[in-house]
Amino acid sequence: MQFALPPRKSPHRLPKSSQLPPYRRTQLKTIAVCACLVLSILYLLSYFFSASTASIGAPVGTSGVVIVTLLDREHFSESYIKKIVTNREDYANRHGYTNFFASLSDYDEAVGDSPKSWATVPAVRHAMASYPHAAHFFHLSPHALIMNPSRSLKSLLLDSSRLESLMLKDLPVVPPDSIIKTFSHLKEKDIDLVITQDSDDLNPGSFMLRNGDFARFFLDLWFDPLFRSYNFAKAEAHGLDHIMQWHPTVLARTALVPQRVLSAYSKDSHGASTDGMYHDGDFLIRFPGCDNLQVKECTEMEPYYMIWQKKIKSG
Amino acid sequence: MSLSRSPSPHPGGGWSSPGLAPGSGTSTPRGYSPNTLSPGGISWATAKAKSDEVRKYPSFSTRNSGFFSRQKHKLSARLPSFRNQAGDTGYVEKDSYRAQWRPSGRGLWGNLGILRRRGRARVVVWLLLLWLGYLLLWSTLVHLYRRSPLGGGKKVVIILGSNTEGGVMEWKGAREWAIERNSIWNKKRYAQEWGYELEVANMLAKKRYSHEWRESWEKVDVIREAMRKYPKAEWFWWLDLNTWIMEYGTSLQHHLLNDLESHVYRDINDYNPLNITHPLPEFYLDELGRSLEGDGKSDSLNLLLTQDCGGFNLGSFLVRRSLWTDRLLDTWWDPVMYEQMHMNWEHKEQNALEYMYQSQPWIRGNMGFLPQRAINAFPPGACGDEINPTIHYQQKDRDLVVNMAGCMFGRDCWAEMYNYRELSNQLNRRWWGSVTSAFGGMYERVFPSDDDD
Repeated sequence: MQFALPPRKSPHRLPKSSQLPPYRRTQLKTIAVCACLVLSILYLLSYFFSASTASIGAPVGTSGVVIVTLLDREHFSESYIKKIVTNREDYANRHGYTNFFASLSDYDEAVGDSPKSWATVPAVRHAMASYPHAAHFFHLSPHALIMNPSRSLKSLLLDSSRLESLMLKDLPVVPPDSIIKTFSHLKEKDIDLVITQDSDDLNPGSFMLRNGDFARFFLDLWFDPLFRSYNFAKAEAHGLDHIMQWHPTVLARTALVPQRVLSAYSKDSHGASTDGMYHDGDFLIRFPGCDNLQVKECTEMEPYYMIWQKKIKSG
Repeated sequence: MSLSRSPSPHPGGGWSSPGLAPGSGTSTPRGYSPNTLSPGGISWATAKAKSDEVRKYPSFSTRNSGFFSRQKHKLSARLPSFRNQAGDTGYVEKDSYRAQWRPSGRGLWGNLGILRRRGRARVVVWLLLLWLGYLLLWSTLVHLYRRSPLGGGKKVVIILGSNTEGGVMEWKGAREWAIERNSIWNKKRYAQEWGYELEVANMLAKKRYSHEWRESWEKVDVIREAMRKYPKAEWFWWLDLNTWIMEYGTSLQHHLLNDLESHVYRDINDYNPLNITHPLPEFYLDELGRSLEGDGKSDSLNLLLTQDCGGFNLGSFLVRRSLWTDRLLDTWWDPVMYEQMHMNWEHKEQNALEYMYQSQPWIRGNMGFLPQRAINAFPPGACGDEINPTIHYQQKDRDLVVNMAGCMFGRDCWAEMYNYRELSNQLNRRWWGSVTSAFGGMYERVFPSDDDD
């Protein structure tokens, strides 16, 4: 037999390689221990780093928040529209968010004979089409003011530990006593939709939706013609109640948060949940009394607008 | 070589075969009565006496000295012998009853008496053993491979909806039972061939569904159950009872799954019997929602179905485990939609899917359509009487599945299924014949197949 290397040499080499001088052994040991330490520190760092910065699982390649506001330009007065737009733009500029102002009349054809408030759904879908790389879409009713503009959406909601602490688990989906309750085992990373309820229903006037397949599915299902033609008393709000209670794939991606986080009601409005009324310092205030009226402007908003103006001038 | 060299372990077994025993043919009455009628009645003493008688038997070596007599003996020893013809010993032990029916093992050697030199005989025996091993073990090995993660057989679950509306709605006659039995046998055989899982779903009419008015949506629940039951499976192939898998030799992987893109059309305009507007024109949809062909990736194909002349056909379709599928299965039935549409949705879940395809853009991108004959060929009589080569089964192309859709309306389900079963057998027998002929046509010569016309 011929070997590539003469076998005779190996017995001479082996003792050399196996019997390291003692000082080299200790050196190797320390190197190994150091490497282990460094690796574990790196791992821990990356773990904490990712845990602290991850917003609710934004899809890869997307960033930022788009604030979607649906304006009824046919009925709202110019000055009222200007107030709403100023309020949103001020907030978006502070935090680097994007505004998407949709016009109700654009969706007339899509909504058809159903109540106009259904236009919320295609408006959000439209925003998704216009900003495909945004991570989150925040729909906010026009009859609402952001009262605490220094509060970023991340610190308010999107931060994972913050959301985890806000999520209301095992709570009837539709108040007060729906037998369908939010899942108690949900984790914030599963969440694609953050929404609140008032005393009667889920509250589509203000919700946060994560970009992705779920968002498309959820909006398309919600906007189904058969839901629109069903004459739900509260149109899209009851449509949403229905979907949430009948389709666990939607509920399993939804987090309910206390009403005041996303949708505090003004003092004069009805139907706020327990502790759902606006208090000073809350992120925003909603005026649900104006929602279903084709008003020129929401007079209820006026005093709060003054307060907000003072606030941003002083701050 | 001679019998005396290896006395059978069973007294009264091969070597004492009755035909050779002296005085054979003369059966003593003592011989049969205790054995055939009451074997339990033999006392130990009589049994011992018989066995002594057997042991006393003279050696055979003196008898089988001549070549011809020996060969004659070997031949007859291999013939099955009936215990009634027990020789003059008249006694057969209970245990040896079966052994008597078998040819004696040593007869093989005798039969190969021509190859008397051991060396040559050994080679032949080894070759025979190899050949037998190939025949017996090869299919097992192939089957093991197909069931393994490499073969991917466990990735596919075939779900067969059986016993449709059984139990409450109608009594089943002989024909219905025959359909049931045959259809299940057919799927079993195919699943076994390729190592797939088979789930025979009992579609018994359940009070639960009639109460909620969602009969025929229960296939949704069945699929979901199957997904839970086989957590590692990826594809779930739904088949109605009135279907027949024609080609056992075609695997789904080879037929479809390995190369989805080339088989599937996503743009429904290619064949659009329902005149569905595609792509959607709505300005507020994103590119994906308005896209002609979804995202174009084969990974996003989660539902593969066919269209017949009337629209979607759910007699045979495939779903892939995915989030999208969960969502579809979850929203397929909705009480608000059902309440408004149940008078219009004649084909229930099939119409519901057509409706969702049209009204909810998220669905389109993940559905792929297969040419009908890929998994759902119709027999003549379904979808019009004239033969349409895109719809009806084509023998020369060896279509995989025939779906006898609508056979319960004025056609004969059992007759159709029987015909296709026979046709499939015939087609596949030819295939087997060609394989055997490749091995020298031995099989054909030994067992000439009279039905190969």
